[in-house]
Amino acid sequence: MKGLCGRFVKAPLLFLLIIMVFSLSLTRLPFCVSAGDEASSAIGEADDALRRAFEAVLEAERAGANVSDLIVKLDEAGGLLAEAENAYRVGNFSEAVSRAEGCSILANGVVGEALSLQNMALADAQTAFWQNLTFSCFGGAAFLVVLFFVWGWFKRVYAQRMLSMKPEVASDVED
Amino acid sequence: MLKIEDYKVVFASVGLIGVLLFASSTLGLVLRLPGGERFSELWVLGPGHMAEDYPFNVKADVSYLVYVGVGNHMGSSAYYVVYVKFRNQSEALPNATAGTPSPLNATAEYRIFLQGGESWEAPLTFSFLGNQSLIQSLIVNNVEFAVNKTALWDGENNGYYYQLFMELWIYNVEFQAFEFHNRFVGLWLNMTGV
Repeated sequence: MKGLCGRFVKAPLLFLLIIMVFSLSLTRLPFCVSAGDEASSAIGEADDALRRAFEAVLEAERAGANVSDLIVKLDEAGGLLAEAENAYRVGNFSEAVSRAEGCSILANGVVGEALSLQNMALADAQTAFWQNLTFSCFGGAAFLVVLFFVWGWFKRVYAQRMLSMKPEVASDVED
Repeated sequence: MLKIEDYKVVFASVGLIGVLLFASSTLGLVLRLPGGERFSELWVLGPGHMAEDYPFNVKADVSYLVYVGVGNHMGSSAYYVVYVKFRNQSEALPNATAGTPSPLNATAEYRIFLQGGESWEAPLTFSFLGNQSLIQSLIVNNVEFAVNKTALWDGENNGYYYQLFMELWIYNVEFQAFEFHNRFVGLWLNMTGV
């Protein structure tokens, strides 16, 4: 009787143990796959962040900002992304994730700086434009006014010179 | 002596030139003149930073050094990727006429950001694991990549030849994608002496 009870208790335990071992063996493969997926996803995010950062820097450059420092940071972030891609190719997923995350952090920082530089450059460009326009308008107008007075003075001088000239009578060659 | 009408023309011309000179500072901000030809450079140099002493007769387990460089003459900042690829003689190179890259997967890569007029250069060290007809691994900048490339005996040139080549890609902001920039450089490697 005791042996029969023991058997009834052991059978579910054995069954439970088999289920646990089986489920663990099943979870091992997804774990490997998910490490690769995580790395791939981190690299994808870093790639997107770097592209956005570059586009922001390019916009700032077009607005007239000095983007030398940002290009250095982008280059650093690009180096990290390249290392992440290389690590992913050789199956070193943990390093790939680490490098990709480093790249994302740097790239996201660059976006903010690029936007602020772009705004400053646009404000500076607007100020410079209005200053130049004012200079062109007032300078050009002043120049024309001065030229007009000079023209008036010149006309008077020219007329006086013409009036002070003695008429010359040409002799008749035939006579 | 000139007539008064002639002087009037001289004064009008001086006035026009003067107004244009005063307006030039503003016009310079508004008008964009077309720049020169836009292009990028890709080069590979030997270990002495010169176009000489390139590795050619190579052996397994020996490290070789070259320098890869990129120059930006696009008139603005650019985002480049240099893909390092490895092929045997039967595999395709990029097609310069069609402007298409090699279909081979990249072994390694560099990502570079350059302002207009700037250039970049970096060392590329490489070595091989394998024998003359089968290269199992290519080690680029101390990272080992499995390549498993086989080569057949080249009777014409008497050797087992492989090629390490670099492709230049550029990020196109308009299409938000990388495109092959139709620039590639390569090194022929004779593995016969392994």
